[in-house]
This record gives sequence, C-alpha cells and structure tokens, in this order.
Amino acid sequence: MAVSHEVVLERSDRVETIDVPGTETVLDAAERAGIALPFGCLTGACATCVGRLLAGEVHHSRPPRALKDRHLEAGYVLLCIARPRAPCRIRVGADVQSGLVENPWK
Amino acid sequence: MSDADRPTETHADHEHHAAEGPGYATPQAAIEESDPEEVAYVMGLYVGTDVDAPDFLAVVDVDPDSETYTEIVDRVEMPNRGDELHHFGWNACSSSCHVEGLERRHLVVPGQRSSRIHIVDTKERRNPEIVRVIEPEEVFEYDLSAPHTVHCIPDGQIVISMLGNADGELPGGFLELNEEFGIDGRWDPPGEIEMNYDYWYQPRHNVMVSSEWAAPETYYPGFDLEDVEAGKYGRKLHFWNWEEGYVEQTIDLGEEGQIPLEVRFLHSPEAAHGYVGAALSSNVFHFFEEGGEWHAEKVIDIESREHEGWDFPVPGLVTDLLISMDDRYLFFSNWLHGDVRMYDISDPANPRLADRIRAGGYFGDPAPVGDRELAGGPQMLQLSLDGERLYWTTSLFSSWDNQFFPEEGERGSVMLKADVDPRKGTMSLDEEFLVDFGDLPEGPARAHEIRWPDGDCTSDVWQ
Repeated sequence: MAVSHEVVLERSDRVETIDVPGTETVLDAAERAGIALPFGCLTGACATCVGRLLAGEVHHSRPPRALKDRHLEAGYVLLCIARPRAPCRIRVGADVQSGLVENPWK
Repeated sequence: MSDADRPTETHADHEHHAAEGPGYATPQAAIEESDPEEVAYVMGLYVGTDVDAPDFLAVVDVDPDSETYTEIVDRVEMPNRGDELHHFGWNACSSSCHVEGLERRHLVVPGQRSSRIHIVDTKERRNPEIVRVIEPEEVFEYDLSAPHTVHCIPDGQIVISMLGNADGELPGGFLELNEEFGIDGRWDPPGEIEMNYDYWYQPRHNVMVSSEWAAPETYYPGFDLEDVEAGKYGRKLHFWNWEEGYVEQTIDLGEEGQIPLEVRFLHSPEAAHGYVGAALSSNVFHFFEEGGEWHAEKVIDIESREHEGWDFPVPGLVTDLLISMDDRYLFFSNWLHGDVRMYDISDPANPRLADRIRAGGYFGDPAPVGDRELAGGPQMLQLSLDGERLYWTTSLFSSWDNQFFPEEGERGSVMLKADVDPRKGTMSLDEEFLVDFGDLPEGPARAHEIRWPDGDCTSDVWQ
C-alpha cells in the first residue's frame, strides 16, 4: 500500500493543503479535493500543469517530455504525472508556466 | 443551407450535375449567392489560466441590423477543461457537392492540447449544441495526438492533421473520421512525414500540401530559440498524391522558410498556385506547379524591427494568411509587429502591397478601438465571402501568448474588423466594431479561429 503525503499547493493568492495517496497524481488529487489547477494534455507533453517543487520529492510516472534538463534542475514538475514520495510544497497556477520560457528578443 | 442547386459548368473530368450536396458550385457562385455573414463561430479559451472553466465555442452576432451586434450571444461550453480549442472545421464544404443529403451543419472542434474532438451541431445557428465527443484515448490508439486542421474531403469524410504521435513526439500524421463522426483510421501511411501542421488539398491537381510546426512536446510549453537551433522546428512543405495518400515531393524552404504555418491554395480549382506564411522567418512563399514539379519561391519578406531596449530585432511572425474568394487579394497578420497586410496577387508570383492596418502588437497603435487596451497583435483572420469585411482575433496559443503578450491572459482577446474595398484595394479599421472576450462572467478569455456557417475563405475547397 502506497502511503499518502501531505502536499501544500501555494498560489499567489492562497495556500491549500491536500493529502495525495501514492497511487494518485497531484493533479488528480487536487481535482478530487475541488481545487482546479491548470492542465492540458495529461500525458506529460504540454507543461500546462507545470508546478515548481519548493520542498519534498515527486516521482514522474512517465517521462516529463515537456521539461528540459534546465527545467528539471530548477525544480519544475508536471502535476499531471507527478506522484509525491514525501510531503511536498509546490508552487502552482498559470504563472508558473509563464516562467518556463522567456521572450527571446527582449 | 446554401446548396448550389443548379446545373453549372462542365469540364473534362468533372461534371456539375444539379448538385445535391452542400456548398457553392464555384468560388464565384459563393461570392454571388451568399448573404452577408450574420453570425461568427469563434474559439474561446480558458486553458492554461487560473479561470476554472472549460473552453467554449462563442457565437458572435455580426449582423449590423441586430440589437446584439458585436455581442457574444451564446457560448457552447466544452465538457472538459484543458482542451485548448484551436482550429476547427465543417463536416462538409463545396468539395462535397456530389454527396447527396450531406449538409454543412456540424463543426468538428478539436482540442489542441487534450487531443479530444468535439462535434457541434449548428442546426440552430445561434444556439448550437455538442452532439458527440471523441475522447483522447480513442485518438491515441492510432498513435496520433494534437489535432490541428480539419477539412472535409469530397466523399463526405473528414481528415484532421495531427501534429504528434500518442506521446506528443514525432511523427505526426492524419486522422480520418467517417460521416457519423467515428474514427475511420489513419489517412496516411505512418512515417511519410515527421512534422505536421496545416494542409490544403486541390483535387483537380490530385495534390495536397502540408506544412510543419514542430513536435507537440516542443511547441506546447512555449517558444524556445534553443529548439530552433537544435532543428526542432519545421521548414518544409510536403506535396502529397491526394488520391493515393503519399508524399511525392518535399521542398525545404531553408533559413528563409522557418516554421511554415498556414497553407492556402487559390480557390479556383483550376489553380496550381498557393501561399504559405513562414512565421519565424517572417516571409511569404508562393508555391506553384511547373513542368510537372512543385516549386516554392519567397515573394514577401518582412524585415525584423528593432525594439527599444531589447536585445534582438523582432520578427513580424506571420501567423495567419488567407486569400479572398475571388483569388485577387492575399491578407496576412504580423502578430508580433502588430499589423495586417493586404496584397494584390493578380500576378501570383509578384504580390503587390495594397494596404495595411496597424493594431496592437509591439509596434502597432495600442488602443485603436475606443479605450480598449489591446493585448497581442492581429492573429487569426477571416474574410467575408464577398471580400468586403476582414475580421481578426488576437490570441495565438496560450503558452506563446503568455511568453510574448502576457496581458492577453489578463485582459482577454478582442475580435476586430476592417472594411475592405476590393475595387480600390484598401482597408480601414471599423472603430465601431469590438467584440470583447475580456468581459465574460468567468473571466477574460482568449479568442482564436473564426468561421461562418455558410463557408468561408479558409475552409471551402472545390472539386
């Protein structure tokens, strides 16, 4: 039996805490708790659901194809395929996605 | 319906009987027989924002005599969040003129990110409804994802360009739907192409042309120059044998043709000429058949512009283009610069700049319509069948909007309109026309592609 972990979801305007069983993704657990997070492809290709891990550890159940090495090193995680392996604190919301790639001309 | 129900021209291999199917007998008939557009269907999006609502199909009143002119009079909410509704198409167009009993009535509305495909019945034009949904898992079974361009094909079926495999990687391909909107299978033999994006077919020349964006996993998260340098973005055009479904010729457009997006043939079924906009290189290519081969030549070059305080000159980013139904004018948008251009293409190899409008973008007028501050530049275009009214929206793709015009998500998109004088070759912004997608109950929404119920300049094909 996979254990549940406490996951704190931080947004600019609020902080919410959910319990995520090891069998469930953070996105699914949040949805089940009535917390709407952005998402898109649900397969790890699009990064619409991207969050930033501030503390803890997650395991991606498929390769997180939307993230480059520099993103993974910076702590970005894909909540549609991420399952917690420890209590986590994760920055969530649409503005996390906006930080992934910069305007190359600016 | 506006069925072409009269006998018309006859030519060597295609006789127009008293046509039973949908559409118009010829492009000229579309101009002569159509009524001015009264409603527009527009993709509305909440994907990728913190607004807890699904994307929707907006019904916009574009009838100047109506009390609700320029208002969103109905919204068809999708059953799920996260779709990124993008491009969409009709179940039937003028190419289906011989298919008895077929109506141009159902919209095929794919989710670019979700790979979910919705079928919307527009029998009640101002109150359409979803009648069928193809779930992503059904699509993934054919090792395809990221549906993009929807065209009906002459026998009543529907083909959708798919930009990736089931994992959002390459290669892409094409999905075929049957008349009942079930999946028939793959239209193409897998592996004919790597990248995919838009396509257009011209049956009388037995040709289809397809363009290239990138793998979904590459473009979904945002635009990264590192990916351009790594060769992950497309620059090729593929010319297919339309009846047999394989690639006969590929043209590499080179450095000047990076990210070839929308492809449009001239509307005349006799024409073997078309155009493609290369977004990143910001050029327009003319492609044509000569001596049994297809050729592509750069005919319009948009110079990058210096932006005060920025490190590099900014390309125009030609993101959409279309051809007027009489094949006389080419219109395209420079999303980053913020202008819409109109070219006379009477001589297809030598387009002549006729007029342009500046609106939004990095260099356009920031507030051309009342006091509404724009975000984003002119993007998806649609033209009335008579060529006198050009409409556009301002959102490109949620993650790319966030990168280049972050205010688009905060303020929402607008739909604008220009009055076109085809005789003089001029355009003027209609300052009375503003559809504000920023002003909706759930929050500001993005707006993308536009279609008319009776066919339009970017969906109808003739046999």
